[in-house]
Amino acid sequence: MQILLVEDDERVAAYVAKGLREEGHIVSRCGDGRSGLIQATTEDYDLIVLDRMLPGVDGMTILQTLRTIGNTTPILMLTALSDVEERVRGLRSGADDYLSKPFAFSELAARVDALARRPSAATEPSQLSIADLEIDLLGRMVKRAEKRIDLTPREFRLLEVLVRNANRVVTRSMLLEKVWDYSFDPQTNIVDQFMSKLRQKIDREFSSPLIHTVRGTGYVIRVDQ
Amino acid sequence: MRLLSSLSFRLTLLYALVFAASLALLLGLYYLVRVRAPLEEVKSDIRAEAQRILNSTGNAASPALSRVLEGRKRPAGGRTPYHILLSRDGWVLTKNLPSWPMFDGRRWLTIEADTFSSGEDSDHMALVLDERLPDGSRLMIGRDIEDLRQRQETLVEAARWLLAGGVLFGLLGGILMSRAIGDRIESINSTARRVMSGDLSERIPTHGSGDDFDRLAETLNVMLNRIQHLLESIRRVSDSVAHELRTPLARLHADLSELNASIVPEQRAHAEAAVAEAEKVIGLFDAVLRIGRVESIRDSVDMGEVDFSALLSDAAEMFGPSAEEKDLRFEVAIAPGLCVLGNRNLLFQAVGNILDNAIKYAPDGGWVEITAGESSNEVSLYIADNGLGIPADQRMNVFERFVRLPHAFNVPGLGLGLSFVKVVVDAHNSQISFEDANPGVRVRWRLCRLNFEDGPPSKAAG
Repeated sequence: MQILLVEDDERVAAYVAKGLREEGHIVSRCGDGRSGLIQATTEDYDLIVLDRMLPGVDGMTILQTLRTIGNTTPILMLTALSDVEERVRGLRSGADDYLSKPFAFSELAARVDALARRPSAATEPSQLSIADLEIDLLGRMVKRAEKRIDLTPREFRLLEVLVRNANRVVTRSMLLEKVWDYSFDPQTNIVDQFMSKLRQKIDREFSSPLIHTVRGTGYVIRVDQ
Repeated sequence: MRLLSSLSFRLTLLYALVFAASLALLLGLYYLVRVRAPLEEVKSDIRAEAQRILNSTGNAASPALSRVLEGRKRPAGGRTPYHILLSRDGWVLTKNLPSWPMFDGRRWLTIEADTFSSGEDSDHMALVLDERLPDGSRLMIGRDIEDLRQRQETLVEAARWLLAGGVLFGLLGGILMSRAIGDRIESINSTARRVMSGDLSERIPTHGSGDDFDRLAETLNVMLNRIQHLLESIRRVSDSVAHELRTPLARLHADLSELNASIVPEQRAHAEAAVAEAEKVIGLFDAVLRIGRVESIRDSVDMGEVDFSALLSDAAEMFGPSAEEKDLRFEVAIAPGLCVLGNRNLLFQAVGNILDNAIKYAPDGGWVEITAGESSNEVSLYIADNGLGIPADQRMNVFERFVRLPHAFNVPGLGLGLSFVKVVVDAHNSQISFEDANPGVRVRWRLCRLNFEDGPPSKAAG
């Protein structure tokens, strides 16, 4: 994947670029806002990782400019401002995701992955499935091996996010953002608690578990070979 | 009564009394000069006249005396003379007064001298010297003092009105004055209270007249500016310290993470511990910065209609598993349709912090209660637990940053959760307080109620 990284902090940029390259992406780097904007408009990228605060042209300005001229490249904003409102403002301005510094690289990688394979709205499926697990999005029904499983709305949403990102790691903070409609900072391991209940319902009675914990990062739903 | 306890009212009351007293003094002086002194003059005139008459007629009842008495004239513009001469046996020898009292030893009498002349009944008063002559006869000799009597009456009447009016006006003025002064003081008072409640931008209004209160208000405003400036610079310093440290910490975190990925698995435990530690410190700075941020934009927080019932249900649901883990009885009673004006993310985080505390401090197997309802103008949220509680004298301190109660040191936490709650409470112009839950504590959060106007609130608000 072609990724443009606009970040003025040399060390963060090097760290992110190195990591992304190791993941198999092609990364172009820009150290200031002006050249970042020029790069973003002249070249075709699959994803732009954009720092919020940049010398020259501000990250928010680049974002708004790109969206104004009709550029729809997915944009992941990075920010040193760890502020709930800041995140909301960024997403409203057209960012596809928002990540505050510092972050574990695995967090960034998971979000980059999710953005890269974001399905377009036109192909919204009504049914999701993995292995013998089926999710009926319209009927809000879950079945595993033809056996119906009762989930609370929140558990359903949790499972849906996991299955939509099947085989990709979904971090705890991504789950928080997608499953709970509040942008906030939980002080306890709330995601883990909900996840453990969900796993009980989905996996306990079956020999091959589908939901796996990725240590230090989050969760993934996949079929174990 | 509040009026009586007001200093300005008491001062005007005192002033009214002093005013009445000086009025009384003035009236008294007038009485002395215009009534008392002429009366004394009349007395000495009568005395001199009696002396003269008696000297010339031999100091005894005689036809000569009667003649002299009857011959007394009223001087032009002067006082009508009156007399009564009684013989030793009580026979009237001569008189021009209609009646007289029995002799009782008093030298001076005032007698009514009602005369009926030329169809007019004139009701006069006479001052009379009552004298027993050596031969046993009784001589009463006097003059008309009707003018003085009338003057005295007028004076008494005037005094009555003046004093009553003076006291009345004094009281009225006192009330008005204490109102006027009270209003000014109250405006200072209420400003001070708003400042105390956290709104440091509040200033005392001045009238522009440059009077004492304006000068006081200006001085206090300068003081408030100074306090605000100091607090802001403290806040700025702590915020910028947190902010400046955050960037190197972020790099440290990045370096450590990178290191973690490249070292042999045996050494990874240390690197991971270091990463976790760095994350903890960053989390702490974030919490401080978040509080500072909300505090600095407290008047410009993005507000919208918030479905508070739904928000509380979500929060309760979110913390359900935590409560379950501690085997708590988790009771939720949220009235439907509660609506407030606010920022749903901030509200959610604040409610989450309170709930998190309640669950954290409740003992295993204890209980946590969430109750929410509304009155005519406010929405009340109660979150109670049966934990350690907060001693009454500590209740205001717990909102300070990094304050942790001594008896709760074994419970993990940074002492920032309630600080955040407080800035959110302030940003929403709401009130938070603690009550005893015996044991434990009940947090009471009162927010302004909002009516659903255009259907249920949009979820996008905030």
